[in-house]
Amino acid sequence: MSVETAELHCETCDAVTDHELHYTGRLLESTRCTVCGTHLDVPPRDMLPTYLADLEQRIVSKPRRMLRRAGQDPMGFLRSVPGAVVRQPAKLLGELRSIFRH
Amino acid sequence: MVLAAGEGRRAGNHTNKVLLPLAGRRVFTWSIRWARELPEVCRTVLVIREEDRDVVEAALTREVEPPAVEVVPGGTSRHGSEWKALQLLAPAIEAGAIDVVVIHDAARPLAGTAVWESVIEAAVSLGGAIPAEVHGHLTSLDGDPSPRDRVVAVQTPQAFAAQPLLEAYRRADRDGFVGTDTASCIERYADITVHWVPGDARNIKITFPDDLFIAERLLAKARWDLTARGRPQ
Repeated sequence: MSVETAELHCETCDAVTDHELHYTGRLLESTRCTVCGTHLDVPPRDMLPTYLADLEQRIVSKPRRMLRRAGQDPMGFLRSVPGAVVRQPAKLLGELRSIFRH
Repeated sequence: MVLAAGEGRRAGNHTNKVLLPLAGRRVFTWSIRWARELPEVCRTVLVIREEDRDVVEAALTREVEPPAVEVVPGGTSRHGSEWKALQLLAPAIEAGAIDVVVIHDAARPLAGTAVWESVIEAAVSLGGAIPAEVHGHLTSLDGDPSPRDRVVAVQTPQAFAAQPLLEAYRRADRDGFVGTDTASCIERYADITVHWVPGDARNIKITFPDDLFIAERLLAKARWDLTARGRPQ
């Protein structure tokens, strides 16, 4: 799970406030206003099918994205491939764990 | 011209909302992708906050195909940011290499290719075009059952004939005029009529946290592809 902080308009505060945004994989899982604590999240029953549809798109688009990166920086790409391959299973397991905990 | 400088409310360690991740990309690179499906789009200028430069350039390298996007730091207002980007384009506009300038708010990642196409076509033939959604269901709180005139919600991208737009901003700069939006400067200083074209209900502006969830769902529903041309859905 990754966390970002950004300024968004909070309906409860009726002002632009800092929000914490929690992502699982590429998907936004929840947001929280850091001023009033208003919390929004995806209903748990929706998260898994949404995640699986998104995962399918990630897999389908992966070759094109890899090719683009290889074209931009061939040596850097080659250096990064072994580490990325090793990290993928743990990354996916972490995402699934986060969804089932949600 | 994609405006990604935001309102610059305060400094600090806060991510500009247009730099947030959205379905595998940063919010601001989605609209660049849809616009560049059109062969008419020959240059892309991105107006940013200087403190966002590193993140912006990394995202551009990762997510945007060549040709390179030209990055320019924004001004203290939306008007100032537009003027800075126009100054970058001025030589090409004066040389006749750019006919139309399209101005877009980077916080609208779902402005699909069809909207870009329709405003460009309208600006080429009519001088200026803005996309708008009719809000016929609105009512007033002061007793009238509904507003007398039709009420529309204005969106971006907005397109204008390049020469009159540049001249309008030059005259505004000489007068010290700072418009609240592009149309206010055009109305005051240019002799072109701005027409409206149908907007796209999906073309939401990321403002509230909910908007990010909605944008994510709308992209997934469209199979992450808003490149369809023709009249917006």
